[in-house]
Amino acid sequence: MTTPASSEVPVHTGSTTTRLLGIAVLVGLVALILLGFFGAPKDDEQADAVRLIFVHVPSAFLTYAAFSVTAVGSVMWLWKRSVWWDLVAHGSAEIGVVFCSLTLFTGSVWGRPTWNTYWDWGDVRLVTTLILLLLMVGYLAVRSMGGDDSAVATRSAIVALIAAVNLPIVNRSVEWWFDRTLHQKSSLTDGNLEDLTLFTLLLGVVVWSLFYVWVMIHRFRVGWLERELRFGDLDLALAQRRAEAHTINDGGDR
Amino acid sequence: MTGDLTPQEPRPARSRGGKIVPAVIAIGVATVVVGLLWNLASGSLFFYNADEAVGRRAELGDERFTLQGSPIGCSITEGFRGDDPVVAFSVSFGGEAVDIVHFGDPADLFQADVPVVLDGQWVRGDPGVGGRNPIADDGWYFASDRMRVKHDNDYINDDEYDQRLAESEAATKFAAEACSA
Repeated sequence: MTTPASSEVPVHTGSTTTRLLGIAVLVGLVALILLGFFGAPKDDEQADAVRLIFVHVPSAFLTYAAFSVTAVGSVMWLWKRSVWWDLVAHGSAEIGVVFCSLTLFTGSVWGRPTWNTYWDWGDVRLVTTLILLLLMVGYLAVRSMGGDDSAVATRSAIVALIAAVNLPIVNRSVEWWFDRTLHQKSSLTDGNLEDLTLFTLLLGVVVWSLFYVWVMIHRFRVGWLERELRFGDLDLALAQRRAEAHTINDGGDR
Repeated sequence: MTGDLTPQEPRPARSRGGKIVPAVIAIGVATVVVGLLWNLASGSLFFYNADEAVGRRAELGDERFTLQGSPIGCSITEGFRGDDPVVAFSVSFGGEAVDIVHFGDPADLFQADVPVVLDGQWVRGDPGVGGRNPIADDGWYFASDRMRVKHDNDYINDDEYDQRLAESEAATKFAAEACSA
């Protein structure tokens, strides 16, 4: 099992890179709000309700991305026993849960004026997305059950990989079960977006991605420091006991 | 971390509650996921397109089911039956039309050529709604009490209505023929 070396432990989670990232996210958010509310045109059918696309779609994209990173991190833990990847998997799952919740919330708010319902329990896209969220909440629950770090990482990695099976199902559900979903197919891949609407949507994806990276770096560093604190304590205690034993043995030899 | 070498009291073991709560959450999540999958397998939203619903009318009988089709513009009539709002219209899909009587307010985005998904059942006879313009007019209507709109994924704005008509799909052609007949 590879563990981080104490000399590499940062004393705080901020850095020049994260500060620049944070500024970029703030500037991007302002641009997104301005373009989303005032720049992009209304839709022929949905009028202003279409503006939810600038939050909903990027959130869904980052949900896929974050949970995919968790899946990759889980594989790397199971394969290489890499603590680095385990921390990445954990951090990305937490952020993914936030994005997935945001996706479901904005989708529900968007659904009321357009579909005439906040939710439909029989809709494959909606329900598989909810299942994905619940599986990842389950992943976080398994992570917090405690016990040996290695065993926790292994158990949660298996849960993450089970959840990852659902990722392509959620993504392709509108194609595979077109007669069981109110949800439309992807506008982006079908080329049904134009000019400023398309630009604003892509800007949303970029801003959300930068936000993900920014939070991810901080979350990873917090996780690393937590681990260092625990294992640092243990290493120190072991060193102290060895020193004690050495002193006693030296005394006994005399 | 300190340099204090005094033997410490062992840290208290994690309480049972600290393990039980996440375990209950994990089991609860697993149970809900199984329930949701079961619900999906039952196909509660599964809908028949208008042509399938007509083809299976005898088989469906008075069973409740979900139907999908595109409203035909010239058939839409809004009114009241007693104090209750009623919308009578016809939908088309696959070259077949179905006459609809929806009891309740229509969806906000309800309009011609934007597909709707309706819950209800086949009823034979006259619904007693005045001013109807039924396109199928075959003695049957679909009595609906829940309407959802299944809008498309096209966010390209068309300024010209004629251009929209020209670019629309088979449902609009069918509707145009039905209305002009």
